[in-house]
Amino acid sequence: MTFLERSRDPEAHKHWYGDMEASYLYSTGIAGEKFFSTLRDKGNIMGASCPKCKKVFLPPRMYCEICFSETKNWKDVGKEGKVETYSVAHVDIEGNPLDEPIVYGLIRFPRTEGGLVHVISVKPEKVKIGMKVKAKLKPKKERKGSILDIASFG
Amino acid sequence: MKKNVAVVGIGNTAFRPKTDEYSWKELMYEAASRAYNDAGLNPRKEIDSFITCAEDYWEGFSIYDEFVPDQIGAALRSCCTVCGDGIQGLALAYMQIMSGAVDTVAVESHSKISDLLTYSDVLAFALDPIYNRPIGGHPHYLAGMEMRRFLRDSKCTEKDCARVVVKNKTNALKNPSSAYGTKLTTDDVKSSPEVFSPLRQLDVSNLVDGSIVMVLASAKRAKEICDNPVWITGIGWSSDTPWIENRDWGRAEYAEEASKMAYKMAGIKNPSSDIDFAEMDDKFSYKELQHIQAAKLCRKGEAGKRLRKGHYDFEGRLPVNVSGGSLGCGNLIEASGLHRAMEVALQLRGHAGRHQIKKVVKRGLALSWRSLPTATGGAVVMEV
Repeated sequence: MTFLERSRDPEAHKHWYGDMEASYLYSTGIAGEKFFSTLRDKGNIMGASCPKCKKVFLPPRMYCEICFSETKNWKDVGKEGKVETYSVAHVDIEGNPLDEPIVYGLIRFPRTEGGLVHVISVKPEKVKIGMKVKAKLKPKKERKGSILDIASFG
Repeated sequence: MKKNVAVVGIGNTAFRPKTDEYSWKELMYEAASRAYNDAGLNPRKEIDSFITCAEDYWEGFSIYDEFVPDQIGAALRSCCTVCGDGIQGLALAYMQIMSGAVDTVAVESHSKISDLLTYSDVLAFALDPIYNRPIGGHPHYLAGMEMRRFLRDSKCTEKDCARVVVKNKTNALKNPSSAYGTKLTTDDVKSSPEVFSPLRQLDVSNLVDGSIVMVLASAKRAKEICDNPVWITGIGWSSDTPWIENRDWGRAEYAEEASKMAYKMAGIKNPSSDIDFAEMDDKFSYKELQHIQAAKLCRKGEAGKRLRKGHYDFEGRLPVNVSGGSLGCGNLIEASGLHRAMEVALQLRGHAGRHQIKKVVKRGLALSWRSLPTATGGAVVMEV
């Protein structure tokens, strides 16, 4: 009969707090190593290409998701792409209003499968699907081999 | 009609933003008790296999699946967890029965998401750690991006998305299990705060707690124990690439593939005329329209047009989400798909109460999506 004895007193409900402390070190892998070191050292955005499909994948990976071959070649996809789609965020991760809205978007590059999701540093009212944007790299001495070595697209 | 596997028991708790008085195990026990009572089966003796659908981080446990058996009657019985959506759990149950290994299976899925104090952080942790997570922000910006591309490619409008919100929240007023039924207008939706433009606050379903259990049985066993079996005649599931950069942002390709698989099994050639009604994932308003399109419940590019004509209304030609969907009932996380399936089964039994569709329905579709940032969905066709 315990299910008939549910308390209606909110102060009677006991809770137990718990935290999940989990730290990870993610290996970037063969493809990530090449992508991030080239971005840091040369400022180039590299895609991996499939010898069979001839498709170039960005972000790069060492296997082709279309034909399952190894992607053995690398290709510089350039720094200029087009906005495939975008969203204007008005709140932060906690749901609090942002002082200035942030534009996030997917940038596609010519003759490349995929692209990069990043911040677009263009005023929200000026952003359009299909507009050309260019990767704005951080100065070389500030680059760390991270996706944030690209400050934004604009 | 293929009469191989039947739904013979259904049980659920109410769906509520918080369930302070219950532990998550008690929540599951309540739904399981109701389902076993409905099926007239003693789980300790008469149910052969048990499946839950859950994900560790939503639950707050490592190796969560080990915490399952006791509260659903499965200790020292065949039991496993599918790290996925409820319809993927139904698919496993279907296969277990079809293989002949078992005759009866209980499938459980739930949300005790009110126990999670850092929902958006866990959601952000589901993004690729190297390419996407460092960009920061609330991951719902991805829904805003998808909505914008979908609207551009589909001839649907922001107002159509608002119409979905109005339809589903109004439908939910008839569903006593729902948490977010309300009467509102498209202007209310369009004037709600912009959160991830074009996505507005009312375009997003709210999280709820709740548990659902469905009991499935082989044809032989169903005939012995059940006088109102609902037959699962088609089931499918599919995942698109996890690389968000590589997806087609205008289409729900996972839903196209999942529904195609289910239709093939059920022998459905023309979904828009062969399906009487549907329960489709609507965790974000635009997803319902995208899923209608993906499941071919309209001709290409006509989801918005048909919505405006009232085809998907409660008394429309092909009612969609008469239960209220996730927008009206609340977002049950991994249990959302099982909720969609449960509502289809209730309609086919004629047990949906005040939200029972007025016309006679013989065949329904449930379609699920595991929500952001996944591109995984399931589809199940049920018939009587």
